[in-house]
Amino acid sequence: MSTTLALVIISGIATGAIYSLIALSIVIVYKASDAVNFAAGEFTMVGAYIALFFIVSASLPYYLIFPIVAAATFILGGAFERLVVVPITNRTKGRENPLIPIVIATFGLSLMLTGFVRVFPYTEEVRSLPPLIRGAPIFVGGVPILLTDIAIVVVAVTAILGFWLFFSYTMLGKALQASSQNPRTAALSGIPVAKMRMIVWAIAGLMAGVSGMLVGPKLALTPNLGGIIMIAIAAAVIGGFSNLPGSILGGFIVGVVQNLIGYFFGSTTIAVAPFLIIMVVLLFRPQGLFGGPVHVKKV
Amino acid sequence: MLKLEGISASYGAVQALEGVSLEVEAGKIACLLGANGAGKSSTLNCISGVVPIRSGAIWFDGQRIDGRSIEQIVRHGIAQVPEGREIYPEMSVADNLVLGAWIHRRDTKQVRNDIARVYEIFPRLKEREQQHAGTLSGGEQQMLMIGRALMSRPRLLLMDEPSLGLSPVLVEKLFEVIEHLNQTGLTILLVEQNAQLALKTSEYGYILENGEMAFHGPSGELRSNEKVREAYLGT
Repeated sequence: MSTTLALVIISGIATGAIYSLIALSIVIVYKASDAVNFAAGEFTMVGAYIALFFIVSASLPYYLIFPIVAAATFILGGAFERLVVVPITNRTKGRENPLIPIVIATFGLSLMLTGFVRVFPYTEEVRSLPPLIRGAPIFVGGVPILLTDIAIVVVAVTAILGFWLFFSYTMLGKALQASSQNPRTAALSGIPVAKMRMIVWAIAGLMAGVSGMLVGPKLALTPNLGGIIMIAIAAAVIGGFSNLPGSILGGFIVGVVQNLIGYFFGSTTIAVAPFLIIMVVLLFRPQGLFGGPVHVKKV
Repeated sequence: MLKLEGISASYGAVQALEGVSLEVEAGKIACLLGANGAGKSSTLNCISGVVPIRSGAIWFDGQRIDGRSIEQIVRHGIAQVPEGREIYPEMSVADNLVLGAWIHRRDTKQVRNDIARVYEIFPRLKEREQQHAGTLSGGEQQMLMIGRALMSRPRLLLMDEPSLGLSPVLVEKLFEVIEHLNQTGLTILLVEQNAQLALKTSEYGYILENGEMAFHGPSGELRSNEKVREAYLGT
């Protein structure tokens, strides 16, 4: 394998880790509220700009920026659920297609966030975040691996692992799962299902927000970064849209495939990659690469 | 222990219950019978606080509980085993049970003891502890739902058609469990389609028709009541 090809794949793994986080953010909301949050990409963008703001204006180190970004996007996600999703749900209760207004509201949120960040400094020109770690690349078999790529994968994988532990082993995490899988029954056990749904949106906001801090050093930062959501949706589709491990793997697959397409067919074709992946998966395995047969949702 | 005083409830424009009164004595099994759509599940959901009542009152241990949240009612000691196979299919049997103890979650030691107790009643669940609940058979899922309800340490258990979809052998086992739980001191309000069996197991019976109480009395009397026999027991 040529060194360039190896580099292309490694860089794909690093961006893939970021896509996994955004895909998870989309899928947990989908599982809890049945609606796709089309503003997930803007949460990424907002996370990246919050990081940029504190780096440029206050020269804060990443370890301080991380909790700021996490807290801000956590609150943003929870607030959107409480202030917008809940009122819409109450108003459309019992009507046909109650989810469409919610999905449209997430589109609205994505436009609002894109417009809103432009008010702040440092958004008028294309920028990017400094690397997570500086230093000479490590050579593995003659292939130089950037420290920042390693750091991205480590942070993303640690975050994913943290979420997995939280959802599988804590009482709150289990209650969040239960409220998504069977809200009526969860309520009968005294689990405050409405609060759980808000927490899921908040965590989803945090996941996407943190991904923004990671994507900042790799991609050019503009207020239109939210378009990254199509790539995350491709990752989620690979996972069958409701399978968490599948979406994580989906993120890595999309990251690598996208880079390979760019490598073999030229960088202008990269933008087409996610759509191509979505189409191919939906045509041949609509249940995702890892799911079982198609499940018909009970109504 | 539980007392419903002329409760009425409706879903939108549809009247579900009209002036329903009912009483369950501590330590007893009472059953609530009726055709589909007569209002049996609605009655249970009013007690559990899922459906708000429009008028009337619900008393539990001398306290008025209507208008309280589902969570508060569970804390008072009322648990419901809902109709159907209402489980968390993608979670393990053990996690399904633990979630029933949500209101006692800080008391981890007691929760562990309670799980052990549930496994004693349903050894089958212990064998399947780590399996996804969705892979269980219908009878096992029913056991899991009862076990989960027990995890909240209820004093009154509301059961909504637990025998639905079970084979005759399993139904017999289920009723053995119901009687066993009752013997340990649990008060039970049982909603059933299987009127024959329900009246045999319970001390007192209520029969709903179109959201109103049509008959009530000691189960033995209901079983020999001409009209009840004709309409509900098929004899």
